[in-house]
Amino acid sequence: MEAKSIATTTPDRPAVIKGILREAALVVVIGSAFALAANEISPRGLALTRNYFPAGTSRPLPRPSPVSASHNASVTNFMATDSGQILAAELKEKGLQLIDCNRAAQLFQDPRFQQKQVVFIDARDEQRYQEGHIPGAYEFDPYRPEKYFDAVLPVCRAAEQVVVYCNGGDCDDSETAAVLLRDIGIANQKLLVFGGGIVEWTTNNLPVETGGRNSGNLRNPGK
Amino acid sequence: MNTRQPNWNRIALNLFTVLARWILGAVFLYTGLSKGLHPVDFLKLLRQYDLVHSSLPLNAIAAALPWFETFCGLLLLAGIAVRGTALTLMLMLVPFTVLVFHRALAIQSALAIPFCMVKFDCGCGTGTVYICRKLLENFLLILFSAWLLTGYGRQLSLRFSLIKPHLHQTRPEAIHE
Repeated sequence: MEAKSIATTTPDRPAVIKGILREAALVVVIGSAFALAANEISPRGLALTRNYFPAGTSRPLPRPSPVSASHNASVTNFMATDSGQILAAELKEKGLQLIDCNRAAQLFQDPRFQQKQVVFIDARDEQRYQEGHIPGAYEFDPYRPEKYFDAVLPVCRAAEQVVVYCNGGDCDDSETAAVLLRDIGIANQKLLVFGGGIVEWTTNNLPVETGGRNSGNLRNPGK
Repeated sequence: MNTRQPNWNRIALNLFTVLARWILGAVFLYTGLSKGLHPVDFLKLLRQYDLVHSSLPLNAIAAALPWFETFCGLLLLAGIAVRGTALTLMLMLVPFTVLVFHRALAIQSALAIPFCMVKFDCGCGTGTVYICRKLLENFLLILFSAWLLTGYGRQLSLRFSLIKPHLHQTRPEAIHE
């Protein structure tokens, strides 16, 4: 049996802490570079300098009942809720008008709708649009507007009334889309925000089209 | 001949630490990817915290944070720079948890409901959750991150430390072979 003498080495505590801090700093630097590169490469990446919320970055808190009812699909008249009244006041300040489901349905049945004098704009993302939208509505995701401008701007310019909607309730993408359209030159007098959105529309058993625009796949077609 | 008995306490600690690292890594990989693949949804959720009022910093946080979390998750799963990553995550988790708590308090006050009945999508990558559950989850994640700083569980790590601390020499000891 052979005895061998070696010197062991151990790091002292401050050195270990310093090492961890330096390692954390390295993780932050490399991780940040990775994150920005991933956002740049991703087809869904955000444009850092774009203002995605032209209607304002602040978002109001939910309010007590009956506003809390707007979280679920049972709401039948969004405009009658506190949220609806707050939204109506906010839109009025921006020169826009809030409409209820009855008015939206009237415009949908108006002969001018067939002549594209009344157009509906769906301000949700592509997936939700495909799952079901108001028949004939144009897809217009306000967070990817450049993709839709070519199709949407000419019809909005030519139309007498433009009805913008999103999911309804707490969703404010319709407001964002309406402000965006207003800011690029669509007259605000003809922009109408349907606050109840697709949730109120479907709750009232009004027709819904799935797939692309004018796909012909309708639910509740008789209404 | 020197026969060594296995140190079961140490083995258990190492096993627990490796599991904690994998759980933490998997959680951050999942939540990071779920936000990174839907950055607009995350941006809208981030807006509710009213942290910043101009577009650039808000967009930068929404664009980078999910991928940064994904990166940290990958590092932990692979066992690279474990303690530096754990410290970074802990320093992120603490302020996030405070923000979520404050938001929940504001919602509770606005809706006049019990605190644990507050349910909202905090932008944490797990959808709409009850606040008490979310706070408990975050508390556990903070604990796991803090535990990883101890240096246990170096097994199954590609490179546990990227930066080796300076060593100082201690007294020689005899090793019998």
